[in-house]
Amino acid sequence: MDEKIMPNKNDHYVSEFEAFQKNGASKSPLWVNDVRTSALSVFAERGFPTTKEEDWKYTNVSAIAKSPFTYSSGTSGIPAGLVASLLVKDLEQYVIVFINGHVSKEHSNVEGLPDGAAVKNLIEAYVTHTDIVKEHLAKYVPFNKNPFTALNTAFINDGAFIHIPAHVEVAKPIHLLFISTQKEGKQIASHIRNLIVVEEGAKVNIAHSFYSAQANSNLTNVVTEVVAKKRSTVELVKVQCESDLSYHFENLYVHQSHESRVHVFSLAVGGAIARNDMSVIIDGESTECNLNGLYITSGEQLIDHHTFMHHIHPNCPSHELFKGILMDKSRAVFNGKVYVEPEAQKTDSKQTNRNLLLSDDAVVDTKPELEIFADDVKCTHGAAVGGMNETHSFYLKTRGITEGSARGILTVGFAAEATQKIVHPELRHHVDVIVVDHLRTKFGTANLPDIVHA
Amino acid sequence: MIEIKNLHASVNGKEILKGINLKVNAGEVHAIMGPNGSGKSTLAQVLSGHPAYTVTQGEVIFEGQNLLDLEPEKRAHAGVFLAFQYPVEIPGVSNSYFLKAGLNEIRKSRGEEELDSMQFLKMLKVKMKIVEMDPSFIHRPVNEGFSGGEKKRNEILQMAVLEPKLAILDETDSGLDIDALKIVSSGVNKLKSPQNATIVVTHYQRLLNYIVPDFVHVLVNGRIVKSGGKELAMELEANGYDFIREEMLQAS
Repeated sequence: MDEKIMPNKNDHYVSEFEAFQKNGASKSPLWVNDVRTSALSVFAERGFPTTKEEDWKYTNVSAIAKSPFTYSSGTSGIPAGLVASLLVKDLEQYVIVFINGHVSKEHSNVEGLPDGAAVKNLIEAYVTHTDIVKEHLAKYVPFNKNPFTALNTAFINDGAFIHIPAHVEVAKPIHLLFISTQKEGKQIASHIRNLIVVEEGAKVNIAHSFYSAQANSNLTNVVTEVVAKKRSTVELVKVQCESDLSYHFENLYVHQSHESRVHVFSLAVGGAIARNDMSVIIDGESTECNLNGLYITSGEQLIDHHTFMHHIHPNCPSHELFKGILMDKSRAVFNGKVYVEPEAQKTDSKQTNRNLLLSDDAVVDTKPELEIFADDVKCTHGAAVGGMNETHSFYLKTRGITEGSARGILTVGFAAEATQKIVHPELRHHVDVIVVDHLRTKFGTANLPDIVHA
Repeated sequence: MIEIKNLHASVNGKEILKGINLKVNAGEVHAIMGPNGSGKSTLAQVLSGHPAYTVTQGEVIFEGQNLLDLEPEKRAHAGVFLAFQYPVEIPGVSNSYFLKAGLNEIRKSRGEEELDSMQFLKMLKVKMKIVEMDPSFIHRPVNEGFSGGEKKRNEILQMAVLEPKLAILDETDSGLDIDALKIVSSGVNKLKSPQNATIVVTHYQRLLNYIVPDFVHVLVNGRIVKSGGKELAMELEANGYDFIREEMLQAS
């Protein structure tokens, strides 16, 4: 069956769009509305992708196409203490919280930001940072390539806005916290739009977290545009811990100018179906990009990472390490594309994807794609899929450690090789704790180590 | 302490050990020498229970128990320790966590109280002096980023902490410079007692200048073909393994 010929499903979003236009959408400027309307017409024509499309071959989203998600026009209550439990422990941080895609001022606190720096919601930024928003919003991510991005763009309304002025170094991390919650028993869709602009020579670390307030089957559909101007340093650490029943999509688009350094890390453990599209446009000389991630799947989860590293200029290193831990009947997809333009000589690009299969029924589809049009480059890629290493496990057992503990310890070790790529020490520790806590629920508490750091 | 009788073992259907007989008593140091591919490391791995090897014949009695019936962790609980030729790196798991987990499992199996973190760290610091290890290694991930020498020292530290009855050192000298070799050997010597025993597996005589064996056995093609005192190691060093092969040819 070709799911594209289900116009009624797209009609659902068209009528949702009409309701949205009447309610809430008016808070943004007219030019945004023009972008929305074009994006909606792209989506209405195209609909959700099917597995016949190469980009979606291993990720079947028909369950999403069949569910009529409802746009939530406002926030909802969340359990008391939830936000506090999700923050980075023992660390001062600027926090902005969104519930079902709408800012929750009562849970946010961005007091004490350096002069000129802004961390706020997009609706406010339309007014306070009109020119910056207009210069960058929806200017990077093409919405005609990815139906989820088209849908997100049609519903652009709120999300996080970060602007760090030139040469400002933000010492404390900024935490963007997105919580998805049930509302009136409906499956809620949150179309979150984030814009992060880091000016020349500025430095910032950002945590980018997604949680569900309860086991819900909501859809979180995010587009995040990051603009790293020349000689800026940006670290973005994403943590996706939504409910196992939920659907999560993010299209992250990073635009780097020369001599900028960007570190992106993605931890993905939640979602029935979750996908991260991560594109980096290396649009300047001597620019460095580090794109790393870890996914842990169990039950019947499917987690997909599609990365795209676009080298346009010479002398740029890019490094990618994605690791996966798969259990039960879960599935994962990794597709890593590296595209080197003819001018991008002396590109030094390394991509690695390693998967640890802890069950005979788990499946991973891994596919590196290198397209190189320059002749003086160093580009390597490697993919590996395997089970627990017997020699490693044997080593632990010869020290008296039981089979179960040996498996737990080695799995944590496998994950740590990826999380070690996180630069900010407290953010790294934060992610390590989440990883170990998550693995404890699968392996049993007795079999997993307390984290002790180097 | 341990008696190996007519031990045959194979890997992927290929027979490597073809009838090993060896008896080691408490307080003794035995060296197993032999050319590459003779089965030395296989013997070490089989005694510790590596799952890749299949024992096809023979038995191993350790302190009255049939060792081959035990899982690797149970052998460790019984008092067998293998110092690996290639120690495994475990990123994300600290040396102290790793050692404490192992030690407490061993203590539990002996009906002893588990050590808490304070007691453990206090003991660990004392043991680290035996191998002259910097205290920073306590919190570093197991073997990750360690030099060859540091990894081998870490093996001997583990031996010091776990206090095995029988320690099997598999090519502990490989990849060591002379200073590291001295530190590692002196660590092993300090741990020697009339109650424990050591089997040193090595290709070169060099290590045996520092860890002096009571007995030397030459392993060729899966069998012990010659046994003697420490002077046998000297002879091998001077003449190579060929003279053994010639003796074997003459004998046949």
